Amino acid sequence: MPNYKLIYFDVRGRGELCRLILHCAGVPFEDFRDFDYYKDWPAIQSKMPFGQIPVLEVDGDKQLAQSITIARYLARQHGLAGQNDWEQSQADMYVDCIYDLHNATVEATWETDPEKQKELFDKVKQETILPHLEKVEQHLIKNGNGHLVGQGLTWADIAYYAYFTTPIMTLLGSEVLTKAPHLKKLIETVGNNHNISKYVETRPVTSG
Amino acid sequence: MTQYKLHYFNFRGLGELARLIFHYAGVAFEDVRFERSEWPQLKASMPFGQVPVLEVDGQFLSQSYAIARYISRKHGLAGQDDWEQAQVDMYADCIKDFMINGRPIYEEQDPEKQKTLMSQFMSEKMIPHMAVLENQLAKNGGVLVGKDVTWADIACYAFFSYVSVKHPDILKDCPNMSVLINKIASNDNIKKYLETRPTTEI
Repeated sequence: MPNYKLIYFDVRGRGELCRLILHCAGVPFEDFRDFDYYKDWPAIQSKMPFGQIPVLEVDGDKQLAQSITIARYLARQHGLAGQNDWEQSQADMYVDCIYDLHNATVEATWETDPEKQKELFDKVKQETILPHLEKVEQHLIKNGNGHLVGQGLTWADIAYYAYFTTPIMTLLGSEVLTKAPHLKKLIETVGNNHNISKYVETRPVTSG
Repeated sequence: MTQYKLHYFNFRGLGELARLIFHYAGVAFEDVRFERSEWPQLKASMPFGQVPVLEVDGQFLSQSYAIARYISRKHGLAGQDDWEQAQVDMYADCIKDFMINGRPIYEEQDPEKQKTLMSQFMSEKMIPHMAVLENQLAKNGGVLVGKDVTWADIACYAFFSYVSVKHPDILKDCPNMSVLINKIASNDNIKKYLETRPTTEI
């Protein structure tokens, strides 16, 4: 088993999908997050390939940057990417959709004024999230087994779980899934996965 | 023989990377292009109401990078093993970030604000990350990953050939990237495609 160290801030943000994949697959890793931003981050940043995190370090000397790339690599290594090239590309597609949703929601996520935050979130909800949900629900029904891709759990399902259980979604978007009952059920299924629920129980509580 | 149909607007935009990969690999595909005026009738038939979409033997794949990665994997342009493929993905994502982060700056209407945003973007992201790509090319013999051209190199070509029209000196400090861009542009298949590609603003 490779030695993994995932370096990211002490928030969910762009690192959480990687953490969830590793936990779901039952793969041990060092979840390097307890560093001081002001004291330690400059030194860490200088060693990161693009000066950004998350970064995955493999066996102490290989580095991989870019959150979705890391998540895809881990999913492929540990049986969560899809069973063939086509399924893997479908999973890639869904995760790219979630990445787009994350980018659309990032401003609202970190807005500290509650009124402005709600305004920002509602705009994203109407313009981006709800139209997307309408399509995803149709695709889920068509796939016929509760999962987005193929016959079982993939990192695409986990990505949807991660996004739709973010703190901002829990705070302001709780009724967003009422029009997407199949997706709602999928998210519950992923949440009930033994390894994921065990991790989530002890995961640090953060605002994003 | 697999039937490929790429659906996108009649401009480069987010569809051009897939077109370039197909042409580079010498793989036949139907390059379905439509005008903006036709889009409202087509939108509902696309899996997520967006394009590009790749139709493969009647099945649909959305998202420009998922498409690029899929056709690259099928045609030897993705990297030789899982780790190389991940490295390729990483460099391609760097280019994607340039596009995602650069777009709101170009869309900013206030010229003063645009100038400030652009200056920040260049100093905090573009220049340092272009330096990373440049160093990697220098270290790795002129391509980003492994021994041969991958779709990450083609993504660099697609991006920098597009940007250098408005910013001709964008690669002034990146001689290795300039060489890579010319290498891709000089490929016989790409040259032939560029000769007949419709000229579009974006």
